[in-house]
Amino acid sequence: MKRNEKKRTEGKPIDILLVEDNPGDVRLTKEALQDAKVLNEIYVARDGIEAIKFLHKEGSFAHVRLPDLILLDLNLPKKDGREVLAEIKEDQKLKHIPVVVLTSSKADEDIIRSYNLHANAYVTKPVDLNQFVRIIHALEEFWFTVVKLPPKE
Amino acid sequence: MDNPSFEAFIKNIHGIFSSSTRSSEVCEPMKRSKIPKKNKSVSSSYARSLIEASLDPLVTINAKGKITDVNNATELVTGYPRDQLIGSDFSDYFTEPERARAGYMKVFSDGFVRDYPLSICHTSGKVTDVLYNATVYRNEKGEIQGVFAAARDITERKVAEEKLRAASLYSRSLLEASLDPLVTISVEGKVTDVNKATEDVTGYTREQLVGTDFSDYFTEPEKARAGYKQVFTGGFVKDYPLVIRHKTGKMTNVLYNASVYRDVRGEVQGVFAAARDITERMAMENEIRRTVEKLRQSNAELEQFAYVASHDLQEPLRMVASYVQLLERRYRGKLDRDADEFIAYAVDGANRMRGLIDDLLTYSRVDRLGKPFEPSELESILIIVLRNLQESIAETDAVVTHDKLPVVVADDAQLVQLFQNLIGNAIKFHGKEPPRVHISVQNQETEFLFSVRDNGIGIAPEYFDRLFKIFQRLHTKEEYPGTGIGLAVCKKIVERHGGHIWLESQVGKGSTIYFTLNKSQTERMQT
Repeated sequence: MKRNEKKRTEGKPIDILLVEDNPGDVRLTKEALQDAKVLNEIYVARDGIEAIKFLHKEGSFAHVRLPDLILLDLNLPKKDGREVLAEIKEDQKLKHIPVVVLTSSKADEDIIRSYNLHANAYVTKPVDLNQFVRIIHALEEFWFTVVKLPPKE
Repeated sequence: MDNPSFEAFIKNIHGIFSSSTRSSEVCEPMKRSKIPKKNKSVSSSYARSLIEASLDPLVTINAKGKITDVNNATELVTGYPRDQLIGSDFSDYFTEPERARAGYMKVFSDGFVRDYPLSICHTSGKVTDVLYNATVYRNEKGEIQGVFAAARDITERKVAEEKLRAASLYSRSLLEASLDPLVTISVEGKVTDVNKATEDVTGYTREQLVGTDFSDYFTEPEKARAGYKQVFTGGFVKDYPLVIRHKTGKMTNVLYNASVYRDVRGEVQGVFAAARDITERMAMENEIRRTVEKLRQSNAELEQFAYVASHDLQEPLRMVASYVQLLERRYRGKLDRDADEFIAYAVDGANRMRGLIDDLLTYSRVDRLGKPFEPSELESILIIVLRNLQESIAETDAVVTHDKLPVVVADDAQLVQLFQNLIGNAIKFHGKEPPRVHISVQNQETEFLFSVRDNGIGIAPEYFDRLFKIFQRLHTKEEYPGTGIGLAVCKKIVERHGGHIWLESQVGKGSTIYFTLNKSQTERMQT
């Protein structure tokens, strides 16, 4: 877990759980979110098991807050992103948290499956950096300012 | 006339004795003269003409075996005139004189013979097979006077019998020569006859098989029984599958074709059943199925490979591309000019690789993720295609025209891709003139022949083959961008739909791509 030390200046502070095994992607996502205004913290889980433990506040995660938004990669070690998604959406305490699938897969079957598992959005990571940054900013804009998220626990 | 002649025989029949026999033992010739002459002449001339008219050789023989009278048929069958025959030994005219002698002796002792077979020799050497029916005739006192013998020419009958025997031998040998196990079955389900092939396939001899239950020789006796019962009720069965079990346990897969057979009155006599050994055919079919399955698997694996490779390549590529871009973004102009140039090449390489990987994925999806075929209106598909291409159409002032397009049974998403690639190419490779693209269709017997004709730069014939291969390009990316996947995907789509694709082109004069799509059943009927 790394804390993003970025200070928020306005709006309701937002916590994100980024479930991503690739440190390159973690760094890129953080780079893209650098200027996000309402972002409080980015927690990172490096595989599916860790993500579930985090959400269930198990072990060392006993004192974390539930995130306001989950960015979920599909191809993860130990526990696949699809399984993580299914577990979140079957869990009464977790299913209200919006999950944005953020993956390199463009495959129709992945898209359909994710939505069938009640993903709130499906976003393909573009290869092009500028596009990636644009997409992350769009996500930020939408989830941090446009939508009303459920109240904190 | 002093011999015991037919007249004597006739009188005997009429109960009137009149003999001209000179046989001292048997007859008393003197007494015959008592018969009134007139009476004799009328009745005997009538009888005589009857006798002469007979086609059967007739003869009378005395106790010594001498011929005493003959008719014309006898002259004809022996080749001797009457006067030579009369008085000669009856037995002289047969291939087996002893047997002839034994024959008339038997008549003298028994009073008659029936259907006594002999062969008459003609002077020419020709032999006539006959059956003799002979009887003794007596005088008024009841004393035997001689033998009246009538021969029935059975040459024709024998020929017919011979033919019949030959025919049945012939058909029997045909049956025996058959490699198909043949069998006849009685109404009770018993084997009544078999051929050699049946012996071979069961391991039992004809003697062992005949009289036993037909169903005993199969792995599924109930099914065998149901089979011949079906023949009795329905008249026949066709390709009825059974497995014959050899006595050693070896199985033979067969298909039975059987029908009932009837006697002359039309009564069902039994079932004639022919088995066709399909072991080899089944082995071959299995082999084909295995090969097809292997091919299918290796195809699927290839597609899976293409998918996995391109999918998994994307991750590291994204890292390379993203961080090279990040470098560019953050440090352009802050290092030196070389660094900027290097970064630019790295970014470009990464971008091209992304294109290739995307195309590879597209290509692998044609079969992997193809949808089932459904009736698709090409007119509406073309509308979508032209909308997708509207930017390049506007840019180039392209004009796309088309014949009235039919409904085809196809994967509509792939048809969009197909037409989009072809029309897109036609627009992309335009010459100095604005692109003119025409889509035409020919309604053929089982398929539609489509063509997409353009007025573009054209292609030299030596490149025709390369064109449909994946990642084959004829131009640098500076001249015409693209990875060279378009026509390879088109080919894959057309082939998935059971059609084929080819092109005609002349450099500088444009190209025409042809492809076929199968018609649906209803369309075929309408043609």
